[in-house]
Amino acid sequence: MQSIIERIEKEIAAWAPEAGAEETGIVRATGDGIAEIDGLTKTAMSEMVLFDPTFDRTLTEALKDPLPIYGLVLNLEEDGVRAVILGDATKIHEGMLVRRLGRLLSIAVGDSFIGRVVNPLGEPVDGKGPIQAAEMRPIEREAYGVIDRASVNVPLHTGVKAIDAMIPIGRGQRELIIGDRGTGKTSIAIDTIINQKSEPVATRPICIYVAIGQKESKTAKLVAELESRGAMEYSIVVTAPASAPAALQFLAPFAGATIGEYFMEAGRDALVVYDDLSKQAVAYRQMSLLLRRPPGREAYPGDIFYLHSRLLERAAKLSKEKGGGSLTALPIIETQEGDVSAYIPTNVISITDGQIYLEANLFNKGQRPAINVGISVSRVGSSAQTKAMKKVAGKIKLELAQFRELEAFMQFSSDLDVETKKRIDAGRRMTEILNQGRGAPLPFEMEAVIIFAATNGYFDSFAPEEVSAMEKKLQDYLAREADGVLAAIKESKEIREGSEKTLREKLDAFIARQAA
Amino acid sequence: MIDDYTRLLEATAEIEDKAASDAAVTKLILHLKSAGRMKMLPKIARELKKVAARRHALRPFVEVAHHKEEAAALRAAAEAGIDARHAVVNPSLIHGWRARSNGNLIDHSAKRALLHIYQNVTR
Repeated sequence: MQSIIERIEKEIAAWAPEAGAEETGIVRATGDGIAEIDGLTKTAMSEMVLFDPTFDRTLTEALKDPLPIYGLVLNLEEDGVRAVILGDATKIHEGMLVRRLGRLLSIAVGDSFIGRVVNPLGEPVDGKGPIQAAEMRPIEREAYGVIDRASVNVPLHTGVKAIDAMIPIGRGQRELIIGDRGTGKTSIAIDTIINQKSEPVATRPICIYVAIGQKESKTAKLVAELESRGAMEYSIVVTAPASAPAALQFLAPFAGATIGEYFMEAGRDALVVYDDLSKQAVAYRQMSLLLRRPPGREAYPGDIFYLHSRLLERAAKLSKEKGGGSLTALPIIETQEGDVSAYIPTNVISITDGQIYLEANLFNKGQRPAINVGISVSRVGSSAQTKAMKKVAGKIKLELAQFRELEAFMQFSSDLDVETKKRIDAGRRMTEILNQGRGAPLPFEMEAVIIFAATNGYFDSFAPEEVSAMEKKLQDYLAREADGVLAAIKESKEIREGSEKTLREKLDAFIARQAA
Repeated sequence: MIDDYTRLLEATAEIEDKAASDAAVTKLILHLKSAGRMKMLPKIARELKKVAARRHALRPFVEVAHHKEEAAALRAAAEAGIDARHAVVNPSLIHGWRARSNGNLIDHSAKRALLHIYQNVTR
């Protein structure tokens, strides 16, 4: 026994901890979420570093608060580096040890993120426990090149009649939603997410909603709405609230894109909503000024265009060889007093494949969604539009634009000829048809049938103010009486001769019933 | 310009000859006076303080858990390229030593090993 004890004691005395050699730095100064670090001469741009709170504490103290705080190196300077602090900056102090992590900023991704609310570092913030990640991915990466992409040819139905008919969005497209505050930008994005519930599960896109610089109460409300509508089953919310450090607000869209790319590369479709990029630009401006980068127009740094272009370029429709997945981006930009010619709006307009422009005037007139169809455009979506929608929605945009002109003209002239009056009435009816409240997205086949009825004069016997109520009745009637036609349109994505005939009969019967 | 002057003084500080470095400072002040740029002097002093603080932070520094480990720690650190004249006792290391210089850290302490175990167990 004694010999065993002696042997063990000898082993303990001879024990020497393993040495760990690494490159480190020391915090020289910190403030406003930025740390100036001496050393770290071999650090790469965008590399993650770790502020080690355990280094200058006793083991007991260190075990009480062992959680490290991460930083992101954004300035490489002659005698040190500057990093943004991704966490509680009040815990960082002068003289603190900073360790290199040897990897670019990465977040966890995986299927288990579906239904969860996470922060831009991929950490859950919904109190539902840890997330089992499939893998770690760098949040900054180069977008796919030309060879890896296919053309956008599959529609992404928003469930909003005005958009699906006139400004169609395809899977893999980048469509900007732009407008003043309180004009319904978020509503369109949320309706689009809710509407994906009507898609078959196999082709239903995974929706990622990125909330940047928003009130946490608004995000909580939105998550509750998505949950109540059953949309969280296929959605992920990434949130960097207004109270989060600017660095996290800047990173949030990239985290959203990274999560979306995971699904895209798995051959699935994903939709990512960036709400909104104006706030991200402001956060990036704040960071850049604190990092002492030279300010440019409106005090934004010189690379603000590159910030948005490299983010939005990651939206893609992949070729079959790459799995055929897609990542659709719906960036949102908030304008001031409808000024689309400001710096950030013009940048993002030029990057995206079209824009949905929401106008405060139209919103105040009661038009929902308040889309100005004259300057809203989808540059690639029409090739992804279904045959059914193409057939019924062909000239709506032109007719509505003409109606808006005539409406303006009407204010100066009281004496109008019959033809003009007819056109104005038709325009008013169409405007009423396209009016659609928040949270009421329609399946694409119902949209197609309603627009079919409108463009074929089935609402002509009603006054414009009656059209909205009639449309609601028609929806109920069709759901009850014409589910076969709706199913056929949903299946074939077009209105075939047989379906059209049956549809016309049903519509005639509906009109006759209303007239009686 | 301030950077240039600071670098100049930083280089002067490297010279062992104190008289020569004092002469360099006097000449710089005279130059600033004649050029009407005396306003730059406080900024240069501030920059120099920063440089000194950086050098201090990155200087060779060896810590040991116990006095009796000092000689072995200094020897081991020197072998690893960190030359310090003496070591500071830091009981929080529990056992072993750690050395850092110019942004490189070699941690040979029991505290590191125990924290590592704790983090692995609680992960």
